[in-house]
Amino acid sequence: MKILLAVDQQPYSAHAVQQVAKLAANTWANVSLLTIRSKGEARKSGTAPTPIGPSADALFAHREAFLSHFGQGECPYTSSGDGKLTEVEKGVFEVLQPSQGARKNLSLRLRTGEPGKEIISEAAATQSDLIVLGCDTAGGCGWEGSTAVPRKVAHDAPCSVLIAKAEKAVKRMVCCLDHDRVSQASLEMINQMVTLNEARLTIAGLSEHQSLKPEVEGKLSNILTYYHSRGIDPWIELVDMVSLDAFIVREARWGLMALWMGKQSILEKALPKNKVNKLIKGSEASVLILR
Amino acid sequence: MINALLSLNADLASSIAFRYACRLMEQTEMRLQSIHVEEVGKESYPPGSGWVRHTWEKGLVQTAREEIAQLMNAEKASCPPLGAPTVRVGEYDEELLHELTEKSYDLLIEGVLNSFHSQPFYKKIRSKLYKYTPCPILMVKNLVNPGRAALLLSDEPDVRPLVSVFMKLFDARGGDIDLIYFSFKKPGQSVYMEKIPEDGPSGEHGTARTIFDTAKSLLAEKDRHPKETWVIRNTAENISEFLSDYGLIGACFPRSVHKDSAMLNLLGRIPSAVLLCKK
Repeated sequence: MKILLAVDQQPYSAHAVQQVAKLAANTWANVSLLTIRSKGEARKSGTAPTPIGPSADALFAHREAFLSHFGQGECPYTSSGDGKLTEVEKGVFEVLQPSQGARKNLSLRLRTGEPGKEIISEAAATQSDLIVLGCDTAGGCGWEGSTAVPRKVAHDAPCSVLIAKAEKAVKRMVCCLDHDRVSQASLEMINQMVTLNEARLTIAGLSEHQSLKPEVEGKLSNILTYYHSRGIDPWIELVDMVSLDAFIVREARWGLMALWMGKQSILEKALPKNKVNKLIKGSEASVLILR
Repeated sequence: MINALLSLNADLASSIAFRYACRLMEQTEMRLQSIHVEEVGKESYPPGSGWVRHTWEKGLVQTAREEIAQLMNAEKASCPPLGAPTVRVGEYDEELLHELTEKSYDLLIEGVLNSFHSQPFYKKIRSKLYKYTPCPILMVKNLVNPGRAALLLSDEPDVRPLVSVFMKLFDARGGDIDLIYFSFKKPGQSVYMEKIPEDGPSGEHGTARTIFDTAKSLLAEKDRHPKETWVIRNTAENISEFLSDYGLIGACFPRSVHKDSAMLNLLGRIPSAVLLCKK
C-alpha cells in the first residue's frame, strides 16, 4: 500500500502524522510525506538549490515525528537520507533516500503551488492508494485557513482519501455501502482503521423503499464473513436513501465516517458535492472516502 | 433443553440469525430445528389440483430445501451439524404459527436486519406471527456475542413473565445478567445513568428499587443474581446506545401494546438481539 501524507505547519498535521504512523506500523505501507509551499514562499527562497523556509522545516519535523513512533529496531523505514531536498522536476523537490537498508520507503517531497491541485497531482504521479490529510475543525475543516483544500482533495483524488480531524477519538467507524464492487484494499483499510482505533464497525447498507438490492445484500454477506474471519463483528444497519442525511448527522459523532464512492455508486448522486462538503466541513467525524 | 425453531431464508438476516443461534448453542443446551416457509402468491399457483398441484409443490419444496441447505453448509465451520430443514409452502406467518403450535417449540429465532427506520420493526411487532405467537421470539438484528445479557424493565410492576421466560430458556446458560430500569427523559428533566449499589440509600429511585427487588427475588429462586442493576433516564437514542454492549436483551410487553409504547420505541432501536415475550 502507498500512503500519501500531506502536511503543513499546523497542529492538525501532527495528528495526521500520528494516525499514519500507527497505520504504517500495522501495514508496512510505503509512505510519502508531502508538503506544499506557496509560490510566495518559493520566491522568498530565491534561487537556492534546495528550498529553505517554514514548509521545508515542517517536512523534516514531521518526518522525525513519524519515525519516533517506531521503537528501535522495529522501524521498517530508513531514518536518514542526505537530508537535502533536491529538485527532481520543475517545482518538485525530494529527499533522495539511500536505496539499500530500508525495507519500506519513506519519501519526503515538496511541491510548489496550490495545495489541493498539487496533492492530487502527487497522488496521481506516485499512484498512491490513500491520501491522508488533517484539517482544523475549529475553522470548519480548513487547511491553512482554507476549507477548499480538503474538499477538493476528497472530490478529485484518484484514490481513497482520509481527512483526519484532530483530537476526535474514533469510537465507531460507520461505512456506507450502496453497490457491490468493493475492493479488497478498501476492506483491508477499514480492517486496519477499526483495529488501530479499537473501534466498533457499522456497515450501513443503503436501501430504497426499505429494501436492499440483491447484489448489495450479497456483498454485505461477504463483507460480514470477511470481517468475522478476522475477529471483527460488524453491525449491519439498513438506511433508506431518503434518510441518508439524518443518518449521517446521527452517526458522525462517533469519529469516522466512511463512504464507498465507486464510479457505479449512487452515493455519488445521493451525496452530491455539497453534501459531502457538509460532511467534511460540518461534522466532527473524520471522513474516509473509499474508491 | 430449549426446543428452538429457527426461521431461515436464503438472505442476510437469516445468515446472521443462524450464526447467532450457533453461538447461543455453545452457551446453552438447545435443540435447533430450522424451517423455511416458501411463500407463493396466489397468482403463482398452477391451475388444477391433485397430482399437478402436488408435483408443483414438491418441486418448490425441493428447490427451497437445497437453497437453505446451501446457507447452512456455508456456516458449517462455525455451527454444529443440524438436521434437515422443515420446508412449508404457504403464507409465512400462518405456516410458522402452525409449526410452533403443532410441535410446541419453546422459542422462535428469527433474523430481522437492524434498520435506521423503526417501521420495519413495528411492522414485525404488528404482524400476525408476533401477535399470536405461542412462545417467545428471539429477534436477531446483528451478530453479537450473546454472553452478556440484560433484562429490560420499565414502570410495569409485573416482572414475573419476563424473568420466568428468561430463566426457563437460559437458566443453564452461564454469563452475566444485568437488570436495567429505564425511562425516557421528558422536557426539563435531568438525565442519569446510575449503577445501583446493593447497599445504596434506599430513598432514591423508589419505583425502580421495588421492581428490582421483585426481579431479584425471582432470579434468586433459580439461584441466580444480577451482576449489575442500572437506573437510566435519558433519550431513546442514548439508552439504546448503552444497551448496544449487550448481546441478549429480554423484554416483555402486552399483546395489545400501543405503538407509542416507550418499550417498543426502545426495542426498535436496539441493534443486537432481543428476546420478546408477551404478557
